[in-house]
Amino acid sequence: MSATAENAAAAGAGQNQAFLSCRDMHAYYGESYIVQGMSFDVPEGGIMALLGRNGAGKTTTLRTIARAHEPTLKQGEIWLAGQPLHKMNANKAARAGVQLVPEDRRIIPGITVEENLIVAQVAPGTGWSIEEVYEHFPRLAERRRQDAVTLSGGEQQMLAVARAMAREVKLLLLDEPYEGLAPQIVQEIERIVEHVKSLGITTVMVEQNAIAALRLADTAVIVDMGEVAYQGDAQEVLDNKELREEYLAV
Amino acid sequence: MSVNDVFLQLVTGLQLGAIYALIALGLTLIFGTLGVVNFAHGALYVIAIYAAVVIGGQIGFWAAVILVPLLLFVVGILMERGIIQYFYDRPHTDQILVTFGLALVIEEGAKAIFGANNIPYPIPDWGTGQMLFYGTGATIPGVPRFEEMPQVWMPFIEGMLFYPSWRIILIAVSFLAIGGLFALLQFTRFGLVVRAGMRDSEMLRFLGINITARFAIVFGLGALIAGIAGVFGGPITQVTPDVGMHLLVPSFLVVVIGGMGSLPGALLSAMLLGMALSFSAEYSAVQQIVIYLVAVVVLLVRPRGLMGKKGVLE
Repeated sequence: MSATAENAAAAGAGQNQAFLSCRDMHAYYGESYIVQGMSFDVPEGGIMALLGRNGAGKTTTLRTIARAHEPTLKQGEIWLAGQPLHKMNANKAARAGVQLVPEDRRIIPGITVEENLIVAQVAPGTGWSIEEVYEHFPRLAERRRQDAVTLSGGEQQMLAVARAMAREVKLLLLDEPYEGLAPQIVQEIERIVEHVKSLGITTVMVEQNAIAALRLADTAVIVDMGEVAYQGDAQEVLDNKELREEYLAV
Repeated sequence: MSVNDVFLQLVTGLQLGAIYALIALGLTLIFGTLGVVNFAHGALYVIAIYAAVVIGGQIGFWAAVILVPLLLFVVGILMERGIIQYFYDRPHTDQILVTFGLALVIEEGAKAIFGANNIPYPIPDWGTGQMLFYGTGATIPGVPRFEEMPQVWMPFIEGMLFYPSWRIILIAVSFLAIGGLFALLQFTRFGLVVRAGMRDSEMLRFLGINITARFAIVFGLGALIAGIAGVFGGPITQVTPDVGMHLLVPSFLVVVIGGMGSLPGALLSAMLLGMALSFSAEYSAVQQIVIYLVAVVVLLVRPRGLMGKKGVLE
């Protein structure tokens, strides 16, 4: 049995306990076959690092879980706390508790910081109030009337996370949260992610800075060519130099 | 050109701009939110003018003022739910083909029911007269014909000027409708979602918003504005089945010159084209091409249009 198949089987065994359970996902961008039969589980309240080289299919996996219009999930199932995400579209998945913080933050231009937060509270299922958001992110409070795209990269990342937290979140999907940020800002984002964990919110984190992600994570999934190459403890990946060199080049 | 001529051309430019703005605002709202090139938008205007003639004639003008925009709102939503929604992910060429086909069906339908010729539009009595503008020192004759006219003092006018009341009413109604639309988009939560959706509809879906349902309402709103345009613009543009097609091309130019999806841009551009048409009226050869000249100049200087933003529909 290959490593991938073993991992998939191991994941299958834990189906009942998993908070997020992805079963044999096959996702496409048009004709491009990106996610090629991935299965993995994420326990409730933990942080899972989803790692792999560029083009391995990490972002596609997150977008598939968030039920984006593209990629198309042609086969497989995604279960979140007993709810079939695979049968939902993006807005229904969001109402079921999935919040994606996309790679490029996707701060909505032309509206203020506060309006970006208000927009997050339009649909049913809200989380932190705007005032609570400002308590956690005082810098956003200072810039509440500012056009959101004029924020610095770090502030935009904070706003993207804050916007997700303004909803009732059960599963937080973070795509490259440290990308392009100064070390000081990265530490701030790390503190936020740890705080999110302390609230019992399950997080899946895609990050090029694998070491930083693994230090924060409880479990890890390594993706290679659209398949699960490894699934296990984050610490195990940190300790296994061979595994890191083979799949993560670190 | 005298001061009086300039004033008259300005008012005419405003009136032309107002009707283009009403059509173009609906177009740009639909284009900006749904990304749909709606060639049937002129046909919505056709439905509106005929509905206004029928309802105005049968029940009364005020009934038409209320019922026609509401009818168009429903027609817009039915059109979006019945046909347009299936073309969101299709190329613009497919959208143009289906909406153009729809426009032809509506135009031919109107022709079959009402005939191809202009039919009279029952303007209420209070809108049929002239408005009198007079300057300092002008002596208004003390006869009922003048005394009954609405009178406006304009200090820079020499003597007296007359302008059809209905056209002034059209300008006023247009600006009220435009102001109402801007207020809806700027000061309500629905408007905030629509504005945000114009910039990043996928992100709104990730935030749990059923943007498709809101966009259907936006399509209905675009049609509602065409309804208002039809009720008040019908007597000026004539009531013929092909009037929608005649309005469509300049209205699309308004959208492009203003900047794709920009509502203030569409308003500014409509006024610019209205003024260009009005002030070139003396030179009929130039007037035929003036809006295209304006389009060329604006797009050469600002390729995204007057107020088009980077990343919007690019």
